Amino acid sequence: MDSGNSKVLEAQRLYGRLETSIFARNFDSARAFLNQLKVKLTEFSGLPPLYRHTSTQVEELKLARSILEQAVLLSVGTEDQESFELHFLQLKPYYTDTRHLIPPSNFEYIMLGLNLLRLLVQNRIAEFHTELELLSPEALKNDCIKIVVELEQALMEGAYNHVLRSRKVPHDSYNYFINLLAKTVRDEIAGCSEKAYDFLTLDDAKTIFKFTRDQDLMTYISEEHPDWEIRNRCVYFQKVKDFSLCKEIPSLQLINQTLGYARELERIV
Amino acid sequence: MTVASTASGLLAMLQEQQPQLKKYALHNLNSLADSFWHEISASISTIESFYEDEYFEQRELAALVASKVFYYLGEHNDSLTYALGANSLFDVLEDSDYVRTLVAKCLDQYIALRKTREGEGATAIDPRLVAIVERMLDKCMQDRKYQQAIGMALDSQRLDKLQEAIRKSENVPGMLAYCFRLARTHVDKREFRQEVLRLIVNQHQGLHSPDYLTVCQCLMFLNDPQTVANILDKLIKGDKIEALLAYQIAFDLFENENQLFLLNVRDRLPEARAGSSSGGGENTETTEQNGMMDVSTSAEAATNVEDSQDNIYVDRMGKLKGILSGETPINLTLQFLYSRNKSDLLILKTIKHSVETRNSVCHSATIYSNALMHAGTTVDTFLRDNLDWLSRATNWAKFSATAGLGVIHRGHLQQGRSLMAPYLPQDGGTGGGSPYSEGGALYALGLIHANHGEGIKSFLLESLRKTNNEVIQHGACLGLGLAALGTADDEIYEDIKHVLYTDSAIAGEAAGIAMGLLMVGSASDKAGEMLTYAHDTQHEKIIRGLALGIALVVYGREEEADTLIEQMTRDQDPILRYGGMYALALAYRGTSNNSAIRRLLHFAVSDVSDDVRRAAVLALGFVLCSDPTQTPKIVSLLSESYNAHVRYGAAMAVGISCAGTASSEAISLLEPLTSDAVDFVRQGALMAMAMVLMQATEAREPHVSVFRRQLDKIVSDKHEDTMSKMGAILAYGILDAGGRNVTISLQSRTGHDRVMAVVGMAVFTQFWYWYPLTYFVSLSFAPTAFIGLNHELRMPKFDIISDAKPALFAYPAPTAPPSVNVNIKLPTAVLSTSGRSKSKAKKDTDAKTKAEKQPDTSSQMDESSSGKEAAKDGSEAMEVDSAVEKKAVNPEATSEVLSNPARVIPLQEKYVRFPEGCRYAPVKRTPAGFVMLRDLEPSEPVELVSTDSPASPAPAGGANGAPAAAPIPMGGVDLEPAPPEPFVYVP
Repeated sequence: MDSGNSKVLEAQRLYGRLETSIFARNFDSARAFLNQLKVKLTEFSGLPPLYRHTSTQVEELKLARSILEQAVLLSVGTEDQESFELHFLQLKPYYTDTRHLIPPSNFEYIMLGLNLLRLLVQNRIAEFHTELELLSPEALKNDCIKIVVELEQALMEGAYNHVLRSRKVPHDSYNYFINLLAKTVRDEIAGCSEKAYDFLTLDDAKTIFKFTRDQDLMTYISEEHPDWEIRNRCVYFQKVKDFSLCKEIPSLQLINQTLGYARELERIV
Repeated sequence: MTVASTASGLLAMLQEQQPQLKKYALHNLNSLADSFWHEISASISTIESFYEDEYFEQRELAALVASKVFYYLGEHNDSLTYALGANSLFDVLEDSDYVRTLVAKCLDQYIALRKTREGEGATAIDPRLVAIVERMLDKCMQDRKYQQAIGMALDSQRLDKLQEAIRKSENVPGMLAYCFRLARTHVDKREFRQEVLRLIVNQHQGLHSPDYLTVCQCLMFLNDPQTVANILDKLIKGDKIEALLAYQIAFDLFENENQLFLLNVRDRLPEARAGSSSGGGENTETTEQNGMMDVSTSAEAATNVEDSQDNIYVDRMGKLKGILSGETPINLTLQFLYSRNKSDLLILKTIKHSVETRNSVCHSATIYSNALMHAGTTVDTFLRDNLDWLSRATNWAKFSATAGLGVIHRGHLQQGRSLMAPYLPQDGGTGGGSPYSEGGALYALGLIHANHGEGIKSFLLESLRKTNNEVIQHGACLGLGLAALGTADDEIYEDIKHVLYTDSAIAGEAAGIAMGLLMVGSASDKAGEMLTYAHDTQHEKIIRGLALGIALVVYGREEEADTLIEQMTRDQDPILRYGGMYALALAYRGTSNNSAIRRLLHFAVSDVSDDVRRAAVLALGFVLCSDPTQTPKIVSLLSESYNAHVRYGAAMAVGISCAGTASSEAISLLEPLTSDAVDFVRQGALMAMAMVLMQATEAREPHVSVFRRQLDKIVSDKHEDTMSKMGAILAYGILDAGGRNVTISLQSRTGHDRVMAVVGMAVFTQFWYWYPLTYFVSLSFAPTAFIGLNHELRMPKFDIISDAKPALFAYPAPTAPPSVNVNIKLPTAVLSTSGRSKSKAKKDTDAKTKAEKQPDTSSQMDESSSGKEAAKDGSEAMEVDSAVEKKAVNPEATSEVLSNPARVIPLQEKYVRFPEGCRYAPVKRTPAGFVMLRDLEPSEPVELVSTDSPASPAPAGGANGAPAAAPIPMGGVDLEPAPPEPFVYVP
């Protein structure tokens, strides 16, 4: 067990350096430490999926969990969604399967909330709800989770202003995803505006897009929609409007079909 | 214990950069695959890509994980591919469903590949697959499951592994026997079977004490007469026991009826010339001429006078050759059938009275029936008693009546010719008798000498050459074919071909069949010649004869015959397709080959010609004859076909393959058919039922008595169709065939097909077109005898025990008016000659007076009382012999004592055993057929069974009516119509 112990100690030392480099936002060295750590973790037998009872199991589990939590934070820091998913999936068993072995982590709800937010940003609504269902009632009350749930509801309702207004985050790491979300929402709004208006005054546009400064609006337009034209403090969308879209609904045929189905159904019953 | 709830973490780890992590993940996934395959299956493509990445060091592990996932997904083919990719990581020793399923799959695939290989070797089998199979085989051998290993090796056609398995097992002889059985029953391919047999022979020869019985059986399948001859020669040079073994081998070989092979073995045995070379020569001479009686006496003399090694050798060689040439066994069989004849003349009499005299079909059917009932017994009393009635047979009926004598005297090799002499063509051309009786006599000679025609061949050939009459040619051709069965004699073939080329319908038909008989199983290119002629000729009869002939030529050749079969079955002429069905039947006889069955079923439902469909269904009976339980299942649907011909075929198929089994499935399938709406279906069903119920007793199968009553009713019913009446009459003949001492069996006791029996059955089924061919059924009769022989080839007196209720296997009770109380006869009863002559005399008077029932009864009583007397004698002897309880009189007895030679029917064999403390011990295990006995007390005097052979001339002949002396006149007046003018057939 001494060797196991020393391994744990060594890993713990490495972990300390990982933490500091993340804190210092020194991502390259953090990544190097993380890679070393992950390899070290494969040597611990107390970890999932084996869960062997060893003298160092609790230490191992705690350490592994912290490492993976840091790994997730690192992914957010480097804005790497793929690696976020990877690490979170590896982290998840520590939250679900090890409750009776080690005390819950401080980061647990933050991590869960982050994951939900990620799913929301990636528009994986089905998975979002699956994850949500798996959470306990206490977790749902937690701020970290609540904010994400509210965001989702707002998005679904189309209450975009609500989405863009929420700016108070439980943890710094949320900012990355919230910003992404805000951009998504703006894109949506832009799409709708194109359809709805021929042109908007800059002031109106600013309100609609929830920008506080003209400068922000200008940057947004030049980056995302270079085809919009700005004349006389107005934004011209210049989108060729497609009028031929609305086709007549074949109502008579549909009615007949529906009646037919009903009749058939009756006959079957 | 903490259990992982998801494998997603591990799956995520697969995306990591470092190979260590991937390896770690794969490793854990592998152990979790059984529970998380559904999660893994979502990432299966990642794992697959790992496997495909040639630089990834854990490729095999990836393959194993992928294989497991595919297994759980039910994609067994993919799973197998990846398992193969996993190489050694796929552990065949693991005890899990996954491994078991895949290994089974592996074996299946390997076996399929090995089978499709077919020599060309183009598609090399995946070495990894081979490796798994070999690992599996090695595992079996390590676990000492040698039988499994042998089975697998046989299935996958791996001779090397087979050899290894046999050699490694502790019980080599047992394994060899097992292997031999499997090779015969489960190996479909003839070529491979031969290789296996060759291997078995080689293995045996490496043993300290080889099982020569099996070795010689194998060598017979391999058609290697030289080695058999060497073995026999070696054995008879040895001690007494080895000589006994040699005799036993010869008898066993004889049972398979392969004439050509037997003759080859005999010819390859060294000439028995020793110190007294002239004496040896004479010795064999006498064997040929006078049968075993003389041999043994002279042999005895020889051994007594000078006990030199040479003389013993000469003597033994003579005996051996006597057996191989068929004379000894045929003689013994004849004696047995003659002395134990239990045929019931009353039945025939009833038939004779009930059928209309003017109805020639029923008249001849009665004659056929009589011939079958007395087949091989030499008892022609019925014919002698009814000369007037017999003389009504004219023309072809006369032909068959004369030929019937051949069936009755079947195997009467010594006197056959003199018996038939009065009917044979005289030297001065056809001056004397009618051509019909002459032709019939030649046919009869063939039947007498069937499959053992050495002595008669030249005479028949001579007769064929001398005549131009097509009826005589017909008889001579059939006779020659029978006598020279399977000898492939070129001289005879040329002569018969000559007859064929005269393009006469009647002679040509017989010639076609005879060519087939001559060439049975030779697969010679003569078949092509016959096929060409069949296309040339206009006569349907000739085409049919040739079609059957071709079918006979490919007998037993299995795949080798496929080209020819294909050619025939695609022919435009339905008769040739009909022949094709028979070719399938005979080429695959008794193999239960799936492809053959499939083809036959296809034709049975799709051909446009009724004849072809009938033949196709009927042929199933031949293909399945080794597995009688299958036939009723396979043809049960066909037996309900709307097409009467198909129903007929189904009935006959069941009859052929289930003959003598009295199986209840067969009976319940046939029963409705015996009252079918169509007359010929009834006919077929009645005959088939008779075949199935041969030798069945009421105690074992209650349907027997129902069936007999049904036959009785059909025969006596005035309004019944002639067709079904004929069927019923023939059914009687079959049911009580050979004096109730024979059964139809297409396979010998060793499980090999009896060539003559199968051929006989195939030609017999042609009676549909040509009644005289009915007699061929007698070829498939096998005596149900236990004949124990000592080293002098004589029958010592001793008893064996049958551990079954006597009623189960007894003779059926003789028919009698219901008022008479039928005594159960002791089966050990040997009818004394005096008893026989007494009852015979009674019957003679019966026939003359024709008083209704009264004298019959008295004769019956008489016979049974004489039987009782004999029984008393027998039981006394028993008491002296051993302390076995006397129980035969008691119907509830659970065992009975049989004395040598005994009637032991095939189903009874498993109950028969040698009593404790018996003086004789058998050389082979099965207590049936010819069994050589080892004398455990050679110093004691030997008591022999008194032989009352029909061959002995004066004294027995007096009672028997001296057959040679007083010929039965065949149709005194010949009301032969003038033959029609030759005409040109215009279709």
